[in-house]
Amino acid sequence: MTPGAPDLKPSQTGPLGVYLHIPFCRQRCHYCSFNTGPYRPAAMERFLSALLSEIDLVGEARWAGGVSIGTVFFGGGTPSLLEGDEMEAVLNRLRKRFTLAPAAEVTVECNPESLTRDKAEGCRLAGVNRLSLGVQSLDDDLLARLGRLHSPVEARRAFNEARAAGFDNLSVDLMYGLPGLDLARWESAVGEILAWRPEHLSAYALTLDEGSRWASEGVAGLPDEDTVTAQYWALARLARQTGYEHYEISNYARDGFRSRHNQVYWRAEEYLAFGPGACGFLGDVRYGNVKPVERYCAMLEAGSLPLGTHEVLTPGQREAERRILGLRLTDGVPLPWLKDRRPLIDTWHSLGLLEIAGGRCRLTEAGFLLSDSLFVHLL
Amino acid sequence: MWGLEPSSRKTASSRDILSIVTLSRIRNFSIVAHIDHGKSTLADRLLALTGAMDPKKAVDQVLDSMDLERERGITIKQHTVCLPYRARDGQEYTLNLIDTPGHVDFSYEVSRSLAACEGALLIVDAAQGVEAQTLANFHLALEAHLTIIPIINKIDLPQADPEGTRRQIAEILGLNPDDTIAISAKIGTGVPEVLEAIVHRIPPPPGDPAAPLKALVFDSFYDPYQGVVVYVRIFDGRVRAGMPALLMSNGRVYEVQQVGVFRPEMRIVDELAAGEVGYLTAGIKRVADAKVGETIADANRPAAVPFPGYRDAKPMVFAGLYPVEDTAYQSLRDALEKLRLNDSALTYEPETSLALGVGFRSGFLGLLHMEIVQERLEREFGLTLIITSPSVRYRVVPTAGETVEIDNPSKLPSSGEIDHIEEPYVRASVFAPTEFMNPIYRLAQDKRGTHRSLEYLGKRVHITFDFPLAEIIVDFYDRLKSISKGYASLDYEFLEFRPSDLVKLDILLNGDPVDALSVILHRDKAYEKGKTLAEKLRAVIPRQLFEVAIQAAIGSRVIARETVKAIRKNVTAKCYGGDITRKRKLLEKQKEGKKRMKQLGKVEVPQEAFLSVLRS
Repeated sequence: MTPGAPDLKPSQTGPLGVYLHIPFCRQRCHYCSFNTGPYRPAAMERFLSALLSEIDLVGEARWAGGVSIGTVFFGGGTPSLLEGDEMEAVLNRLRKRFTLAPAAEVTVECNPESLTRDKAEGCRLAGVNRLSLGVQSLDDDLLARLGRLHSPVEARRAFNEARAAGFDNLSVDLMYGLPGLDLARWESAVGEILAWRPEHLSAYALTLDEGSRWASEGVAGLPDEDTVTAQYWALARLARQTGYEHYEISNYARDGFRSRHNQVYWRAEEYLAFGPGACGFLGDVRYGNVKPVERYCAMLEAGSLPLGTHEVLTPGQREAERRILGLRLTDGVPLPWLKDRRPLIDTWHSLGLLEIAGGRCRLTEAGFLLSDSLFVHLL
Repeated sequence: MWGLEPSSRKTASSRDILSIVTLSRIRNFSIVAHIDHGKSTLADRLLALTGAMDPKKAVDQVLDSMDLERERGITIKQHTVCLPYRARDGQEYTLNLIDTPGHVDFSYEVSRSLAACEGALLIVDAAQGVEAQTLANFHLALEAHLTIIPIINKIDLPQADPEGTRRQIAEILGLNPDDTIAISAKIGTGVPEVLEAIVHRIPPPPGDPAAPLKALVFDSFYDPYQGVVVYVRIFDGRVRAGMPALLMSNGRVYEVQQVGVFRPEMRIVDELAAGEVGYLTAGIKRVADAKVGETIADANRPAAVPFPGYRDAKPMVFAGLYPVEDTAYQSLRDALEKLRLNDSALTYEPETSLALGVGFRSGFLGLLHMEIVQERLEREFGLTLIITSPSVRYRVVPTAGETVEIDNPSKLPSSGEIDHIEEPYVRASVFAPTEFMNPIYRLAQDKRGTHRSLEYLGKRVHITFDFPLAEIIVDFYDRLKSISKGYASLDYEFLEFRPSDLVKLDILLNGDPVDALSVILHRDKAYEKGKTLAEKLRAVIPRQLFEVAIQAAIGSRVIARETVKAIRKNVTAKCYGGDITRKRKLLEKQKEGKKRMKQLGKVEVPQEAFLSVLRS
């Protein structure tokens, strides 16, 4: 990362995404490496005030008034710890400083135990129109092992209450490759979730990321690669049979319900970021805020932007990102983007890992599983 | 010449008389020793004592000037220095110290230096005693008819045993124990006596300054500004700038541009006369144009008979050098050419490998020489290289036609066309404490050695074996050191070619032979080696998009097989806003690693795969 303040300014004319990081949890999950700390009401209050100041500060930029926001994503942490009026205050501040498009997608990540009927309705009234529910597993033992605070019963309740509160765009997060998770239990969990008919499903194979408890302490009983691979394929098959599109490596959607916000990332479009450790992309600069909540708040209280790191992308790096992010989507990338990688593309094509159609090149479901082996050659 | 101003040499007659006086004040000598017995330390000490160098700078061994030499603690290229010395008899002497390399690969270079001397200091470590290279160097010095001054070094060490060492010098080398000088080069004890012994025991050089010029080239190096700097020992006559120098082996004539001596820096003098050692430059472009052993004469008054040719530096070990990136071929060629300017023992010629593309078949004096060349190519020229398994040169006697020599296993004709194959043998000399005899014999047996002689020397033994050279170029020395806790020492010399039951072992990746991984070896060892190689390759070849079958085969018979399973998944599950930079950097790092990969067909093989063959 280069020192000195970057020139942060959007270069695209279309709407931007906005990511808001809510850095608190009641309990940290054992696999989690995100920037989050223990929830305390006072800390939350101080943080929210800093968050609003950050929106104000960025909003003072000359270009801010002309910016339209197409998607908003409250991530965390546990954003569902926020009350409806708090979400509304944040959204209102965005509306005040920027232009929030009337049809903007506004998502909040929710943990089942903190999503009540009242909370869901509060969200909806605040202007949230999409909830992403962190179900992760439908197995009591596994949820306990993961360090989650909810039970499968609570997960079902939360989903139903979100529906009852009027949400017609719900996403569910699931994890596979978990210690002790066999193929049969996985298939049964996927079967049940799909029967809920969420509009969207994200399913991630467990990775032991640096910063997580499991990465530092280790975890027993991880399934072997063949099992994890079988779980991937079981999900892909069941989702296809029930009408879901496998539109990104780890994401499935019913027709018309892809995550618009996340597609901003994969299409290498620009987005603003607010909150500690949140990362944004403007012009040719990728930047990240400082991570410690205390420091983040203190900087904003002193009236300065909480910028931590930034990197100005070279044109080559931008292109590389477009290729490797674009290929995460089933839409793939225009064939000319890969024209200088012909022998590689031919090999991947011959192995059934990649398809070429309509002037585009896209990974197959088999290709998704090996995608990093391709991406390393596309830098 | 020391103490005499060139201007005082007015007339031919007075000059000749003065030169004769000068001759009696010159001593030309080398220091020879087993590795680590303290040769360079003594050289530095002599420099400091004679004032050729500031003692404060003598902390580092100045004669070992190449970085690599310093790191490895050995001398590769020799250096020469002229030491002015006022002896106890009150006379000024010029002592020409010709430094010599101290590793078994470079015994040829030692012999070149010795031919320019009348005497040699033979150093023996008081704690280690006589070692294999002590003996080898002793014989080289004897062959060169040198006066040998035995020196017992490191007498300051607590474990030093000067008396035992003195006995060994008498018993093993047959030298008079009363002639030994006990010293500590490190702290300086006894070094003044060494200087006196050089003056009084080593004879002054013979030679006739009035005769036609006859000078011997005993080393050279390439200087980008002056061309080749030739190290010469003048045997007859004199040489000065402006003279036409005739290189007798090729008949070429160069005008001498500069003559000088090493003090230790290069210092220009008016002339070098019979008996003296120094350098000359003559606009010679490559080291190979003024080969070691060359006789230089005055083109206007050619010497009648050139010196009998020195042994030419003969590469013993051959390997393919390939750039990992095909585009670096030209850079590799330029780099080799530059190294060759300074290293006449290095040979190379273009070679094409189906697996590795275009590269060079290179010849080295030994494995250390090979490693040094590789390191210099990578370090000084920034190249990333793949080195194929080292090979010796084999003689292939076909059923019909003439015998051919091959140094590349992939060039071996098919077995039907071969009557038999001969391989080079060496006579190896091993010194070790008696307690390590058994493991040494076991190692020798494993390496197809034939026992020749055994001699007990108190608590130590001297064993000689005949070995196929191929068996000892790879890991013999390391294993010998390890089984003897570092105490055994080794020296060897080429003996002859002998018929052997040799076969070619091929490695196939997904059915395609990888020519660069082929090795020639004894039939009895092929099965074991094939198995080991396949296992090692399985361990270093990363999993790929498809299964990779590794086979070791002799002809069409597969003797070992291993499989690298296809990779099942390699995917980043989550890649959202904050993950993108981290992910790209991770991939960038992996891509760096890929630079050391070679694409063989569709299979990606890391550089380590070739190294693993080399080391197994």
